[in-house]
Amino acid sequence: MTKPDLKDDSNDERSKGTADGGRLPRLRKRFDYHRLGLYAVLLGIVAFYLAPIEAGLVTSLKTRTGVIETLPMSPPIYGEFSTASWIAAFDTLSRGLLNSALYAVPATVISAFIGSVAAYGLTQANWKRRYKATFLALFVAGIFIPYQAVLVPVTRFWSNYAQIEGLLTPLWLLGVDRDYTDLVELMITSIAYGIPICTILFRSYYKNMNIEMIEAARLDGASLRRIYRRIVLPLSTPMFAVVLIYQFTQIWNDLLFALVLIQSTSSDAAPAVLILSGLGVSQEGMNFSLQMAGALITALPTIAVYVMFSEEFSEGLAT
Amino acid sequence: MAELELDSITKVFHDGDEEIVAVDDVSLTIEDGEFLVVVGPSGCGKSTTLRMVAGLESITSGAIRLGDDVINDVKSQDRDIAMVFQSYALYPHMTVQENMSFGLEESTGLSDDEIGARVEETASTMGIGDLLERRPDELSGGQQQRVALGRSIVRDPEVFLMDEPLSNLDAKLRAQMRTELQRLQEELDVTTMYVTHDQTEAMTMGDRIAILNEGELQQISSPLECYHAPANRFVADFIGEPGMNFFDVDREGDELVSELFTYPLSDWMVDDLGDTSELVFGIRPEDVSLVDVASAEHDFEAVVEVVEPMGDENTVHLHFAGHPDSSIVASVGGLQNVSQGEELAAHIPEEAIHLFDRQTGKVLHNRRLDSEEAVDATL
Amino acid sequence: MRDIFARRKSDDESTDRSDETRADGGVARAGREKPGVVGRTRRALDRRFGEDFVESAPFWFPAFLLMALFVYGAILWNLVISLTDYEGFGLAGPDYSNLDFEMYVRAFNDSNVINASINTFVLVIGFTLTTLVVGLLLALLVDRGIRFENTFRTIYLLPMSLSFVVTAQFWLWMYNYDNGVVNIVLGTIGLGPIDWLGNQSIVLWAVIFALTWQFSGYAMVVYLAGLRAIPDDNYEAAMVDGASTVKMYWRVIIPQLKGATISASVVLMVFALKAFDFLYALVSGYRPPAGTDILATLMVREAYQNTNWAYGSTIAIILFVMALLIIGPYLIYQFRRDNL
Repeated sequence: MTKPDLKDDSNDERSKGTADGGRLPRLRKRFDYHRLGLYAVLLGIVAFYLAPIEAGLVTSLKTRTGVIETLPMSPPIYGEFSTASWIAAFDTLSRGLLNSALYAVPATVISAFIGSVAAYGLTQANWKRRYKATFLALFVAGIFIPYQAVLVPVTRFWSNYAQIEGLLTPLWLLGVDRDYTDLVELMITSIAYGIPICTILFRSYYKNMNIEMIEAARLDGASLRRIYRRIVLPLSTPMFAVVLIYQFTQIWNDLLFALVLIQSTSSDAAPAVLILSGLGVSQEGMNFSLQMAGALITALPTIAVYVMFSEEFSEGLAT
Repeated sequence: MAELELDSITKVFHDGDEEIVAVDDVSLTIEDGEFLVVVGPSGCGKSTTLRMVAGLESITSGAIRLGDDVINDVKSQDRDIAMVFQSYALYPHMTVQENMSFGLEESTGLSDDEIGARVEETASTMGIGDLLERRPDELSGGQQQRVALGRSIVRDPEVFLMDEPLSNLDAKLRAQMRTELQRLQEELDVTTMYVTHDQTEAMTMGDRIAILNEGELQQISSPLECYHAPANRFVADFIGEPGMNFFDVDREGDELVSELFTYPLSDWMVDDLGDTSELVFGIRPEDVSLVDVASAEHDFEAVVEVVEPMGDENTVHLHFAGHPDSSIVASVGGLQNVSQGEELAAHIPEEAIHLFDRQTGKVLHNRRLDSEEAVDATL
Repeated sequence: MRDIFARRKSDDESTDRSDETRADGGVARAGREKPGVVGRTRRALDRRFGEDFVESAPFWFPAFLLMALFVYGAILWNLVISLTDYEGFGLAGPDYSNLDFEMYVRAFNDSNVINASINTFVLVIGFTLTTLVVGLLLALLVDRGIRFENTFRTIYLLPMSLSFVVTAQFWLWMYNYDNGVVNIVLGTIGLGPIDWLGNQSIVLWAVIFALTWQFSGYAMVVYLAGLRAIPDDNYEAAMVDGASTVKMYWRVIIPQLKGATISASVVLMVFALKAFDFLYALVSGYRPPAGTDILATLMVREAYQNTNWAYGSTIAIILFVMALLIIGPYLIYQFRRDNL
């Protein structure tokens, strides 16, 4: 709790340096027209960033006539308020939400763990610079690859070369729908493509760790594996928070792999974004109320994670 | 049993196409139980040497022997060596107790009870018995230092390595830890290699000191020998504060001639010098005495520029009369009254001068020691 | 001569204490292994690549293998597929015996590909520039030592946590011709209504605007990190030198944000290359609004709707090369700055 306070203080210091000086002017600051203008601009920008979400929210709570007859950003008036869209959207999406969680959570945890171990190995390795740089460059480039470039091979791989349906027989015996084969494929794919970013995020963290501490552990007789288990892993908790949050958002939000690996929107294993991408479109036109409700429901988990851990989220982005 | 021998070890780093020789053919032996201080300016290769002994740095050529075994290819975790780091390198997420047990847990088969007992025993000799439940960030710098020491002591290793362990402490604590470390080392009698750039630590702590410069071993001998009988100009310059005064001189017959002074030599001096005529003349500040007038052949007229009173002594910066650009430093008693601008004479006694070969830097003649006869007599 | 300097300690005091403790469980030093074939290979590898290459391998190798297969292996495979004539349904798969550049010839003569390339280029450049500018302005405003800084920052970054699919739904509604917020706001100042998503000449800019809404918070975060790294005395020195606020930012602060600009641009450009999700969700289908077809959407459409697998792979390679043109210089830049 003290950390944000400290930060605010230092900001105050700087504003003192740039705008005024000394203590008295600081009191006066509140009546400063410059600052008043600044806050007005900041609030205006807030309106801009929240407008689409606000419009979506109020629209989702209106009847179909309400959507057409009232302003898109005004709250529903009496008689046009309806939760029908939310109920309908939830009905359609609940299966997808569960499926998304089923593959996004394990994929996030596994790719974060693999990334952490790999980054540790790379940090420990005392290689010649050009080899290490080449190696790391492969990981960094792996983050930025447009997935289109691997799409056809990945589809071929899962459909013709790695038929895992047979391996999952115990699941089918338990009564799980066979469509879930696709979800397992999607999970493994998400793990594989999440590894580069996870590795690089952990690597940037481990690079700043006290090397003497690792060396001390080596001299204390610990093997590389023991050092990871007893020293590095316990000290990685803050970075795990960052990576897990970032990676979860990425995997949950991704449409492309879901689109090509899951048979169809109507599949039992369809994740939420896939269902959402086809929601509200029908013969008689668009049902915006339903679409907005669906969008909000799909976004809720990531928004919740984001609001709870916004610090970690922005750290993950800035690295 | 645990004599540590470095047999002409060399370390070459590659930076692109460039080769950097960090340690160049260094050979030295640390006897069992000996406290060797390795000292030198930063970048002289002393830390690299230490890290090669620890196994944290590979050895380009040469051999390191611990007892009878070559340990070049033994991993650091199997070398049974403990090291105290400059940053202390404590494990921040563990309590003091856990920090100290870690090495025993990882490197021995001791039971938890035995480990606990050993940790407690060591902690109480180190005076950190009541800190065992704290974490490193709850400790002061001095306490962290003690924990770092305790962590290596508790393992009872064959060799102790210390990499500037006192450099993060304030001056007073450093002096205190210096004596304490010495006492501990003597008590434990473990072979110790101690790296520092601080010559006070080198002079006061070691049984012997090894002086490195640019990767090469300059001299290895007792602190006093390094001080009074330096092997070359670098050692003479590096050891001692304020440093030795140096003047380039040419030998002409039985005189040393520089543009500042002409220094007549006695016969016994001349024999040491051989044929070399390009010399460097060295004299330690405390061997220069200040007299009112130049009355003897080794007195030279000088003018006081600055006086730095240190209490117990005064450091006096002078220049030779008629040569305002020249400089000579003298340390005189704290009660001797010298003031700026004063014209007097510097007495440079012949017994105290050192002469070096100007080309190679090697010493040709070291000062005579009065104690020479005295020590001989007692033996 | 040496003996005259009395050693301070007598050596004969040393006891056998350390030997006793060794007996109760000290480490037996590992004997030197005799180098067998494994040992020799290991030495050779270590010598070639550097120390610890082999010892650290169990840690990085699984990750490396997965990445090598799924990323680089798949790209190579994709390249090979692009040289075949593979198309249609069925399990037959590509015929690898007959490789040629036919698909590339077809692509370079295909007006759809050329059109999509141009759109991709406009999208990448337009989106990256606007997002950087907006992000920089946001960062400068937020860095003015404001109250509730965290709240403002959180709100500006919020869209970044949303899926492209969700963003597309929101903006579909925002851009709605009759009831969309954008047209209604413009209506109050007497403009519009405009068919944002139907008019071919402006639709791409409408998409860029929506994407800027989503990503400018990201650029802000990167720039803020950059601004925070500039020491306060830089501001003070500029003040003392009598620079006006605008001048101070222009001459002193912004030049120091070069690193932040470079890393943010790379990420944004690559995001723009991948904007497929957004365009797909806008129309719930493979054919995005006319005027917004980019290589990413064209590739997926050719492969997964028209089952022209080889042709889709060819377009994917073109897209990949474009990405490489962005990533390559970035990697070299990072290598030069010792960040790799």
